[in-house]
Amino acid sequence: MKILTNLLRSGVAALAIASAAGAAHAQTVDVPLTESGSSLLYPLFNLWVASYSASHPGADITTTSTGSGAGIAQSIKGLVQIGASDAYLSDTMVKKNPTMMSIPLAISSQAVNYNLPGISHLNLSGPILAGIYEGKITQWNDPAIVAANPGVSLPNHVIIPVHRLDGSGDTFIFSQYLAFSTPEWASTLHYGTTISWPAVPGALGGNGNSGVLAAVKANPYSLGYIGVSYADKAAAAGLGVAALQNKHGEYVLPTDETIAAAAQSVATTTPADERVSMIFAEGANAYPIVNYEYAIVNSTQPAPALASAIHDFLTWAINEGNSPTFLKPVHFLPLPAAVKTLSQAQIDKIQ
Amino acid sequence: MKIRPFRLSVLSLSLLIPAALVAVVLFLVVYSGQAMLFNGLHFVTDINWNLGDLYSDPVTVNGISVPSGANYGILVFIVGTLLSSLIAILIAVPLSVGAAIFLAEAVPHRIRPVLSMLVELVAVVPSVVFGLWGIAVLIPFIGHYLSPTGNGYGLLAAAIVLALMVTPIIASTLLDALMQVPKENRESAFALGATHFEVVSKAMMPMVRTTLIGGIVLALGRALGETMAVLMVSGGGINILPDSPFSPISTIASFIVSQLDSAEADPTNMSVRTLSELALVLFFITLAVNATAKLLTSGAFNVRKRQS
Repeated sequence: MKILTNLLRSGVAALAIASAAGAAHAQTVDVPLTESGSSLLYPLFNLWVASYSASHPGADITTTSTGSGAGIAQSIKGLVQIGASDAYLSDTMVKKNPTMMSIPLAISSQAVNYNLPGISHLNLSGPILAGIYEGKITQWNDPAIVAANPGVSLPNHVIIPVHRLDGSGDTFIFSQYLAFSTPEWASTLHYGTTISWPAVPGALGGNGNSGVLAAVKANPYSLGYIGVSYADKAAAAGLGVAALQNKHGEYVLPTDETIAAAAQSVATTTPADERVSMIFAEGANAYPIVNYEYAIVNSTQPAPALASAIHDFLTWAINEGNSPTFLKPVHFLPLPAAVKTLSQAQIDKIQ
Repeated sequence: MKIRPFRLSVLSLSLLIPAALVAVVLFLVVYSGQAMLFNGLHFVTDINWNLGDLYSDPVTVNGISVPSGANYGILVFIVGTLLSSLIAILIAVPLSVGAAIFLAEAVPHRIRPVLSMLVELVAVVPSVVFGLWGIAVLIPFIGHYLSPTGNGYGLLAAAIVLALMVTPIIASTLLDALMQVPKENRESAFALGATHFEVVSKAMMPMVRTTLIGGIVLALGRALGETMAVLMVSGGGINILPDSPFSPISTIASFIVSQLDSAEADPTNMSVRTLSELALVLFFITLAVNATAKLLTSGAFNVRKRQS
């Protein structure tokens, strides 16, 4: 009997201690968040988190660069709270995981860089690029390229196409440009973070944006697609930036104006779940390879404290976080007002 | 029965290692089971690798849900793995035999430990450092002076980087064995009027031949599984078999790393399962190599024992 009362007492004491500890924990509101995914978004998240932590004591956010696919997979499994991705969730993914949301945080773009000695301006179109990566256009002085570049003397030299070896959002948006502009590519190779690249003799793969940059730099007469955050390094390496043909048939270079033009034209047609491609957008001045950078987040979080921590951070990211202080260094552009409203509506769903 | 706590605890600890190995193999077999059914035997003879369209609805083939257009053939990667490793060994063997003989015979006693330590140091340089060296130095060199197309990435670059990584493994194994050759054999050969070259080639090398073979096979095991350095310099060939030393290639290990991220976005999971099957293939290749090494070196490793 005495043992029983002792046990009871100690049990009550333990409960009291536990609840006191719990209360103390709730007061400090220290909810650790983890972000994982896109290596393109990673530098921006680092800038954000440093500034956010400084202005929000108690915020505890870890950032990791793993890749868009890993970001999506880990956020669905609940291993990380924020998955960073250059690509939105596929229809099948959403069907399987209806509470997963794709929330745009900023706008990115991609350049097609070339290494052609002596040539400073080059026009390329989706069908030409598709032909090059399929091995149907093999020489720089191919009639199709000559026709797109009147007055430019193109070398009689084999083209070396460089693609990404690793799974990448850059491959996703590049192959989407080819698929949307070239029906034949759409029906055979589709688009995705990895493509079954056709057998082109001499075609190269680079690991990461830096690997593609190194390969294009090392190989005269090569070309490759490189994310906009590497624009400064590509320019320093002496690589040219190709003007790409948009939906209206114009050749446009990636500049703040042409990227913003593409973003504006898609802003009005972006659906509520914001899973939309900005590739090959309408607009006479719109650059064709522009994309939303996404946070992949589960709208149903296991704890209210976690939900509010994610909510607060993402709200900050699309408002204060969209200022040029953060976006300029990585060459991203802010979300248009209409899209920001949609993103906020999705962020408000997190609970 | 008497309980022996010490023996029991040590036994259970020692069982952990084989248990971990069995667990990994079991996991790979179970996890890739569905992929084996889907891929069949042409998996290893097909050269076309396509993850399929991960953004459209999956299709059902023989009751298995897969991305539409998915086709997995790994011959390119098996060929890339074996070719790059074999060429690496061909480059590494003369280098390491020369280095080991130099260290054993031609270097003053005082400097030998320093130099042999340097050789062993090369063995612990992280592979990503070799990869960076490959990109910064080797690839421009091959591109400028060797390759007819001006492209330095590919089979030869991968093989040279691998060769540098495995040379210290062979050299230090061989050096240990050369140092164990009994002094009497060496001195008798000299006494019979043999030149230094004849002493090394006729009296010493025959005694360490098995060790050399064992070291080579160990090095081969290392080269087959190398990932990062190869990924950085191989050029990542896909859907095409190499036809020259300058052709881009992919090895199994580097290819798994490069595809995993996209595979994780596959809603049917077939891509990851197939990569597991690919990992199983690599596992069996390296297992076969290591088993050979064990067979070749067992009993024959210790030269002195054989003498007595």
